[in-house]
Amino acid sequence: MPDFRELLKPRFAALAAIVLMVLGLLLVRLWTMQVLSGKAYAETADDNRVQAYTVEAPRGRILDRFGRELVSNRPTLAVMIAPEVRENRDLLHRLSTVLDMPADEILERATSTRQAPLKPRAIAIDVPMEAVAYISEHPTEFPGVSIDVQAVRQYPRGATAAHVLGYTGEISDTELADPDREGYELGDIVGKAGAERQFETVLQGDRGYRKIEVDAQGRSQRIIEEGDPIPGHDVRLTIDSRIQKVAEKALRQAMVDAHRDKFPKAKAGAAVALDVNTGEVLAMASAPSYDPDVFLGGITQKEWKALTAKKREYPLTNRAIMAQYPAASTFKAFTGLAGLQTGVAGVGSSYYCEGRWIGMGEQWDKWCWNHGGHGTETFTEGISDSCDVVFYEIGYSFYKRKRDELQKFVRRFGFGEQTGIDLPSEADGRVPDAKWKKEFNKDYPEYQRWLPGDTVNVAIGQGDLLVTPLQIAAAYSGIANDGKVMRPHVLRQVMGGDGKPVKTVKPEVAFDTKVSSTNLATMRTALEAVTTEGTAEGVFGDFPVRVAGKTGTAQVAGKDDYAWFVGFAPAENPKYCVVVAVEQGGHGGSVAGPAARDILGALLGVTTEHVTAEDESR
Amino acid sequence: MTERKRLWFVNIPLLSIVAAILVFGTIMVNSATQGMTAGPGMLKRQALGIVIGLIGMAAVWAMDYRVAKTWIWPLFGLLVLAILSPKIPGLGDTAKGATAWLQIGSIRLFQPSEPAKLVLIVLMAAVISKYKGRLEAPADVAKVMGIMLVPLGLILLQPDLGTGLVFVAITMGMLLIGGLKARWFLVFALVGVLAAGVVLKADVLKEYQKDRLLVFVDADRDPDGAGYNLAQSKIAIGSGELTGKGLGSGTQSNLNFLPERHTDFIFSVIGEELGFLGAVILLGLYLALLVTSLEIAAQSRDLFGALIVAGIISMWLFQILENVGMTIGLMPITGIPLPFVSYGSSFLVTNLLAVGMLLSVWTRRLGTTR
Repeated sequence: MPDFRELLKPRFAALAAIVLMVLGLLLVRLWTMQVLSGKAYAETADDNRVQAYTVEAPRGRILDRFGRELVSNRPTLAVMIAPEVRENRDLLHRLSTVLDMPADEILERATSTRQAPLKPRAIAIDVPMEAVAYISEHPTEFPGVSIDVQAVRQYPRGATAAHVLGYTGEISDTELADPDREGYELGDIVGKAGAERQFETVLQGDRGYRKIEVDAQGRSQRIIEEGDPIPGHDVRLTIDSRIQKVAEKALRQAMVDAHRDKFPKAKAGAAVALDVNTGEVLAMASAPSYDPDVFLGGITQKEWKALTAKKREYPLTNRAIMAQYPAASTFKAFTGLAGLQTGVAGVGSSYYCEGRWIGMGEQWDKWCWNHGGHGTETFTEGISDSCDVVFYEIGYSFYKRKRDELQKFVRRFGFGEQTGIDLPSEADGRVPDAKWKKEFNKDYPEYQRWLPGDTVNVAIGQGDLLVTPLQIAAAYSGIANDGKVMRPHVLRQVMGGDGKPVKTVKPEVAFDTKVSSTNLATMRTALEAVTTEGTAEGVFGDFPVRVAGKTGTAQVAGKDDYAWFVGFAPAENPKYCVVVAVEQGGHGGSVAGPAARDILGALLGVTTEHVTAEDESR
Repeated sequence: MTERKRLWFVNIPLLSIVAAILVFGTIMVNSATQGMTAGPGMLKRQALGIVIGLIGMAAVWAMDYRVAKTWIWPLFGLLVLAILSPKIPGLGDTAKGATAWLQIGSIRLFQPSEPAKLVLIVLMAAVISKYKGRLEAPADVAKVMGIMLVPLGLILLQPDLGTGLVFVAITMGMLLIGGLKARWFLVFALVGVLAAGVVLKADVLKEYQKDRLLVFVDADRDPDGAGYNLAQSKIAIGSGELTGKGLGSGTQSNLNFLPERHTDFIFSVIGEELGFLGAVILLGLYLALLVTSLEIAAQSRDLFGALIVAGIISMWLFQILENVGMTIGLMPITGIPLPFVSYGSSFLVTNLLAVGMLLSVWTRRLGTTR
């Protein structure tokens, strides 16, 4: 054996040891990675290649009471932009040219934070075919830009019932945090106002999902798994789109009439038509209105500012349920009922109106709207002539009896609280009393005391009293419906996939006033006298159906008078109640009354001309 | 004459193991390149590499390695030429920032740095064998290291850090067999650490090389580039778990998450598709290869042959450590392929030539020693 081999033996052994060490080290590491931590790595590998998408469920349609479409869906071609290319000025410039929209608007839409960070954003919808074709044919000029077919809301009847229907938009952070919106994701389209918001959960449907395998470049390879979306339910509203159109037209006409009467500031108002027996809302109009199409594809800051601007009278506001006005003379019916029910007044009561009323003392004198005075007035004439003195007397009697008795009574008709209509953002209104005044003026001790004049003001629907048009309509429906105020509602049915209703809304008593039928009948008679010989005689004198109603002309500090009319018909067997209120429209009898007449005419199926009437009352 | 006697000049275990690894590698390259448009062409090129490699192997085997013992200066010249050849205008081509290919016109021939490793091995064997297994005098050590430092310096200037590290590993392995004392290895280790520090501080390395090296220390450095490669490789291997996702079913691999998956990161595909068991089989084959080679070295008729074999063992071992190690985050990322497995014909041919050298030593193991 050559000696060099002996010499090398330990060295080979050392080399062999190194070999074993190296391979052992690798194996130990592989063991920990593949066997001990393999599951975690496998999950990461799946996260790498699997992308889960949600597939929007078609939103349910909104129909009127006869199934006519008010809101449906339509497909639209949208141009999408990947978030990573939004800094590309050249690209924005090219898109601006092709889409014919300002580059900064594209940028605004592209940088929307209302989307999951990596999701492409829609920058334009309803893109013309030529633009779509150009973009598709020049992919290198438009990196990160894609065309997508999206479903958007469609309004077959345009702006009709816009305020009732509401609109949709991308979900906000606040909504995402809302437990009622659990399961929603950034970028989801949800109802933002009106019925769209109120019935969100039934309209939304269940989104489907799709898991796709992608490669490292994000290119889709195949569908791994998918679940079909479940479309949202259609909802059928109580709204009659024909009546709704009449109501909207009548409201617009009321403003024209107001302008004719030299009330140029009349720009806003509301009209509501209710079924007095069920509380169904047959029409609900608010002016000014807006075009719901501006919300499609996301609204820009500029458009939003225009829709929420004071100088445009806040067109998004549904004044029928959100506006709070002094009820003015329309409130006399409730003061009158309070008088009848408590015995403060009676059918046989007699009053004397000199124009000026000094019941609370010379220094606290008040005037009837008719400064010349009505002379001797019965209770019924007090209503039909809308004589203020009669109700000053009744109000003052209440002040002397028990301070809050009048307020407690009118609250039985739902004043001072929401009617509970199935629409969001309803206002409470306000029935002022001693407790309220003290709290309201807590920083002004000298104004905290409840004065006799405060009750007298409530009696004629002025002072600090505030009502919504819907509250007035609902309360008059209560007079018409034997003292039971039905809950106003706009939802009639929720429809199933087979077109059959899965839920039908049942009429519900919102406020049981417990006013005696006799007193209600007395009031109905008095209210009918309004249209036959009183302040609304000029409006309804030749109307073929008997109508009971009341005009109102509200005084608002710093503004022109607000015009009111509320009435129900047929007076002998009431079915419908209509209210019209016009901000700064002047007199109820000449501005609101003719509009209400148009709506009642449509409801009752009697064809009538729009009338011109005169009214000086308040 | 028994069959065993008749085939005394053939090392059947070595050839069987190499054949097994080649088959394993070809299957994996096939799996890794499926779906690539250039895939079939690559497989053909790889097959061509095997054929050329086998011919080369046979030629080397036929040669008596001992003739090279006195070729120190010619080998030195050849080595320097091999390293510098891609720099010659008209002959070189640049891949990944380093000039590495030899080409005529637009036809790429091979990467001269690959066969250069073998030249280095023979050169160092010739130099070290002169000291007859006793390398103690500092002057002698300096002389040996001096000869080695010239090609190392040149290769680092390419810059080809990976090949440079292979050069160092080869030399260290051969010095161990050549009789260098342990304390010298400590000195070298110290010098190596210092040199690494200087290199990283001074701007010797290109930015991508620095990233590759430092990503190994700090995974968050360059998460989209080198860090991404490492992360995806680890995900691939880890997700293979015990038995793998199945040949051709690696998602990391087929969906392009793995970079360089048929070359530098072929082991990631193995780990993903064949799992821990597949990795054990491959590492087992390597163990068999290295043990068989050690046996050949031990039976060499002279120190020169033993040194050659030791160099080859060191080369393979380091490449396995570096390549597998980088895919699992144990080693910095350098462009070192996996012997007999990674796609790349220059590399394949070089490794088969190395097998030829082993056989040359084996076949001539009998007879007197000097």
